[in-house]
Amino acid sequence: MSPQRSRSLALAGLLAPGTLLLAGFFLVPLGIMAVYSLLSPGLYGGVEWEFYPFNYGRVLGAPLGDVEEFDPVYGGIFLRSLRLALVTVAVCLLLAYPAAFWVSRLPGQRKPLVLFLVTLPFFASLIIRIYAWMLVLKPTGVLTRAMEALGLSHLAPDLMFTEAAVVIGLCYVLLPFMFLPVYASVEKLDPALSQASADLGATPLQGFLRVTLPLTAPGILAGCLLVFIPALGNFIVPALLGGAKVMLVGNTIEQQFLAARNWPFGAALAMLVLATILLAMLGLALRSRRDAGEDGRA
Amino acid sequence: MSTITGGRLLGAWGIAFLALLYLPIGLILVYSFNANVVNMMAWEGFTLDWYRSLFGLPTSLGRSANYVQSTATLLAAVRNSLLVAAVATLLSTVVGTCSALALTRHRFRLRPLYQALLVMPMVMPDIVLGIALLVFFVGVGLDLGLHTIVAGHCVFLSSYVFVIVSARLAGIPSDLEEASADLGASPWVTFRRVLLPQLAPGIVGGALLAFIISMDDLVITYFIAGVDSGTLPLYIYGILRRGIKPEINALAMVLLAFSFVVAATGLWLRSRRQ
Repeated sequence: MSPQRSRSLALAGLLAPGTLLLAGFFLVPLGIMAVYSLLSPGLYGGVEWEFYPFNYGRVLGAPLGDVEEFDPVYGGIFLRSLRLALVTVAVCLLLAYPAAFWVSRLPGQRKPLVLFLVTLPFFASLIIRIYAWMLVLKPTGVLTRAMEALGLSHLAPDLMFTEAAVVIGLCYVLLPFMFLPVYASVEKLDPALSQASADLGATPLQGFLRVTLPLTAPGILAGCLLVFIPALGNFIVPALLGGAKVMLVGNTIEQQFLAARNWPFGAALAMLVLATILLAMLGLALRSRRDAGEDGRA
Repeated sequence: MSTITGGRLLGAWGIAFLALLYLPIGLILVYSFNANVVNMMAWEGFTLDWYRSLFGLPTSLGRSANYVQSTATLLAAVRNSLLVAAVATLLSTVVGTCSALALTRHRFRLRPLYQALLVMPMVMPDIVLGIALLVFFVGVGLDLGLHTIVAGHCVFLSSYVFVIVSARLAGIPSDLEEASADLGASPWVTFRRVLLPQLAPGIVGGALLAFIISMDDLVITYFIAGVDSGTLPLYIYGILRRGIKPEINALAMVLLAFSFVVAATGLWLRSRRQ
């Protein structure tokens, strides 16, 4: 057997398990879900095999010229999920960006330890991390007690089952996804560059906006995407910290599958989440290509 | 002067950031030792009874506060979780490592496509993958159970192992493999005798992290678990939906300690220098 031939055999062998797994349990399921989203819901759960575009019309309404099935409730839920996901992204960035600078300036032997400490909570069970915040936020919880101890009990906010509680929970769970990519680009930053901008007469603010921020933008954008994606579809955090008052698209999908048994509508909602995320990823990819092009010209 | 204050501010921010990550978890630890059976938020004294009852040891908690409804359900959930995590980790370590070897050591036309496809399950929101798998399993007439959970976990765990092992492979120069091939060793012998010894820590590290991610997965498991195949996160979620009980604290701490020890080992192996 020629070495060329044995190499391509080896390649085929190495690709086979991944191909089988992803085709069988990833691409085909996604395809079936896409098909379901275009079928009509059965009377007693399940689906009727007929083309039915109105699952999307129920959320999007007017653009599809479908006024009858349109229910503004679902559009509202979708917009609220988008809004809370974006707020979560902003809060995570605000918390993680300065922390990344702090870690990058730590002396050599302490840096790996702190990085390790920041990464470790990612592997703590999601449900337990949310439970910790239930202890803090519940009406007789740690927050209320702390305010009482300070003699400020009249100021103690009742955050449980509010949008704020959901954002707090999402931020806590997703913070490592923001920190790690942001840190990676902050770490690569050459301090000489901001020093040079200061020597050339830039104020610290100018130096930050014109030098530091653009150079760390790739990490910031990657972190924003990595937080936005799981925040948009999450249903455990709103179920435990938001209650029935803060319905997000994730809870709505869960309900359609497990309570309402309207699978086609649930599938359509999931497809909309997926489409939103693919759009965000595409936008990011186009941006980084454009930036690369600009660098090439410069 | 101003840079010194700036540095102090940054330091304070960093310490606060770490505190934010660990304080909520620390709270559970404190409450898990609280002897107050009636109101868990009020400190009454130190006790190990919650931990003792977790392992079926005699306690002084009294009948009203006996450990969750039945230890049998808890043990079944733990067993399911360990079984799923072990099988799914084994399979996805093989799949992820093979894929990483194919993409880092070979050049072929569909490579960018594979690259994107292999990270997709990890990037996709859990709920989308969960319901896609549910629709698929029900559609092809498979009963939901441990086997469907294993299949679902393999999909996204393979992504994690792929990313971790690829990173490790990228740091291993291929000269030694080329030398071995030039001396007439078959691809298998080259892999077994030259590459694997260098790659092993990365593979084991990736497998340990995959094991913990599988043990902790709630969302995907939620949709594809059968009636009798509840895992530990599902069990805890079920209890929390009904309200907070002090029994959860000790269970949460044991689970956290387990996750941290395994994940710390995995992270250490992953980053260890040859």
